Amino acid sequence: MSKNKINPGVAAAGSLILPGLGQILSGEFRRGITIIMAFGTSLALFLWRLSVVAHRETDWIGRLSKTTDLKTGFVIIAIIGFILVWILSILDALRLARQPSEKNITGPKGVPWLFAVILALFFTIGWQISEIDIRKLTREASEAWVPLSKVLWPWEAAVERITETNEAATTILADPEGTPPPAPIEEADKPYIDVNPRKGELSSIGDKNEILPGTLITITGRGFFPEQEVQIWWADAMGNEFRPRHDGAYVTTRSDSSGEFSLEMVMPYRLIPPSATGPHIHNVMARQINETGEVIASNPLKLTISLIIETIFMGMMATFFGIILAIPVSFLAAKNLMSGSRLSLSIYFFTRTIMNIVRSIEPLIWALIAVVWVGLGPFAGIVALTIHSVAALGKLYSEAIEGIDPGPIEAIQATGATKLQTIVYAVIPQMIPPFVSFTIYRWDINVRMSTVIGMVGGGGIGFLLMQYIRLLDYKSAGLAVWFIAITVSILDYVSSRIRERFT
Amino acid sequence: MLEIKNLTHTYPDGTEALKDVSFTVKDGEFLVVIGLSGSGKSTLLRCINRLIDPTSGTIIWNGSDATALKHNQLRTLRREIGMIFQHFNLVKRSNVITNVLAGRLGYVNPLASLLGQFPAADKKKAVAALERVGLTPQARKRADELSGGQQQRVGIARALMQDPKMILADEPVASLDPVLAHTILGYLEDLNKESGITVICSLHYLDLVQRYSTRVIGLRDGRLVYEGTREEIQGMTDSEFKEIYGEEAERINAGSISGGKVEADDE
Repeated sequence: MSKNKINPGVAAAGSLILPGLGQILSGEFRRGITIIMAFGTSLALFLWRLSVVAHRETDWIGRLSKTTDLKTGFVIIAIIGFILVWILSILDALRLARQPSEKNITGPKGVPWLFAVILALFFTIGWQISEIDIRKLTREASEAWVPLSKVLWPWEAAVERITETNEAATTILADPEGTPPPAPIEEADKPYIDVNPRKGELSSIGDKNEILPGTLITITGRGFFPEQEVQIWWADAMGNEFRPRHDGAYVTTRSDSSGEFSLEMVMPYRLIPPSATGPHIHNVMARQINETGEVIASNPLKLTISLIIETIFMGMMATFFGIILAIPVSFLAAKNLMSGSRLSLSIYFFTRTIMNIVRSIEPLIWALIAVVWVGLGPFAGIVALTIHSVAALGKLYSEAIEGIDPGPIEAIQATGATKLQTIVYAVIPQMIPPFVSFTIYRWDINVRMSTVIGMVGGGGIGFLLMQYIRLLDYKSAGLAVWFIAITVSILDYVSSRIRERFT
Repeated sequence: MLEIKNLTHTYPDGTEALKDVSFTVKDGEFLVVIGLSGSGKSTLLRCINRLIDPTSGTIIWNGSDATALKHNQLRTLRREIGMIFQHFNLVKRSNVITNVLAGRLGYVNPLASLLGQFPAADKKKAVAALERVGLTPQARKRADELSGGQQQRVGIARALMQDPKMILADEPVASLDPVLAHTILGYLEDLNKESGITVICSLHYLDLVQRYSTRVIGLRDGRLVYEGTREEIQGMTDSEFKEIYGEEAERINAGSISGGKVEADDE
């Protein structure tokens, strides 16, 4: 090759026209192409970002100025980067052309600076593409703290106190014209309430959006626990139960020392449209809730524990099915066993390819498919995890088989052992430790995966966690998160201890 | 008595490992096979117990043609011939006693052995074999916890379990230091002299050859290029040795160690 025969000025001019061209002209073809491609790619990415950020502008000048307004730092750093790449590549071309060819034996030097700048350019563009905004970390932290603190310490939601309710109800006609239902009959030793009047108008919003307050009613009650809060509940004619409010606060009162109370309230807003037919008989209830002091596990805790158990067993079953299917597959995927003939070798390549494809698809995506296949629930999760496990274990097992030392096999054969004896005494002892170790490791992964597989409907705790988050019930979600963390870390410890013994 | 006639072996890739090799080994001999790496020593030893099937030629072992044997007869042949290896070839994750008992596999009921059951007599035999090589305290250890010299002694104990009439030793000391080399070869010499077991052993170093062999054959590129008696070997010069080995030949510098068992703990 006639390297370095060119004039340094020509090389510099080449890189002035296009960074990298001068390097090609001075014989460093690979370096030149690399610079051109790196420069071209970063320039294209930069222009793409301009058109994304300033998408309303039609010409490049407009896009550049608009983006400079919005993302000043990005544009300035990127442009400085491009200019630096340009200058450095000119200097590089100049030096290459000047360098005597015999010095080139050790390879051209001076690359790091140029490529450091190109790398910095890529990171600048990457910063923009991935919409990194460090300020958000602090700006939204205060809002995030409330739900986050519930997740971090959710244990209040783990228990609840047993309560007893003392309740009485009466009826009222939500129609000022009709005949009201009779008052309830009072029974001995039971709380009793009634309303007066026994019929009235519900509150409503008028045509001009003005508030039309309903009838003022008096609720009287007796036979309640003395000196305790009484909640008023309302149920409309369809049975929709709610706690009426007055000025934003729930309507409540306290019973006196003889367990009696009396309060006035305006009838609440109608929920059923006035066109609804039938008697508008509503229920008015007074309720006292008393904590007995006994503490029991809350529903979220019970649900979380039962789903954690489901999750662990999902992982276990998937691993079990995975082992059963992976063992035959692993023999087909072991090169030392399958290199005998052209047919077996093609089976080997086929198996390997399928396994690699299956393994590269995440269990979560397999779960999406499995949910369509077998329906929602833990079985879908097991199917998904099994598919992934077969591919992953198949690969690990086949590598364990490939790693078998032929020496002991030869030695056992030389003692006059049968084929079966040789397998039992020379092959299996070599295979069991890696098999056990890989299997335990896989079980660990499967349980970890089944904690999230529920998010797409594959059963296990992920489903519950997702639901709590959607309901903004962060304390219950926190319980689920804690249990996942506890389970996974115990499993992690156990599995690493078991694997230690088998290495 | 072992008679090898016109033994040839060609590997599937076309490598001719053995070309028309013929020689005879009388009972009770300590035959050393010398030759460079790749000269066909290992292939030769493996042809004798049919770990490798020769391409052509015959191997007459005590009057019967070993190359014609099938299945059970082949197993009977193999169990009469113990083998020890350069890399010991123990099942590393099994314990020492299991490795030794494996030497009995050619004799025991196959079904019982699959469940790990061995007759009481065999267990006693294994204990005795371990005692003979001085490894009784290591019996329950995993094979890979042992040093190289100890592992090779387990290999010898395993071969002893076969009640062998002949022992094939494929470079038994090539992975060991000179002191251990003498320990191991000392055990083989004992077996050869005291129990009358024929030994065929491949070795690299002239002084070990001179010290232990009763007869030597030399292989070069798969051909038998040298045959000599004990007396001839004792007088062999380095230059003759180099003729077989080529220029890479060297002497081991075992110094004052005179051979035989070295009682000190290995390594």
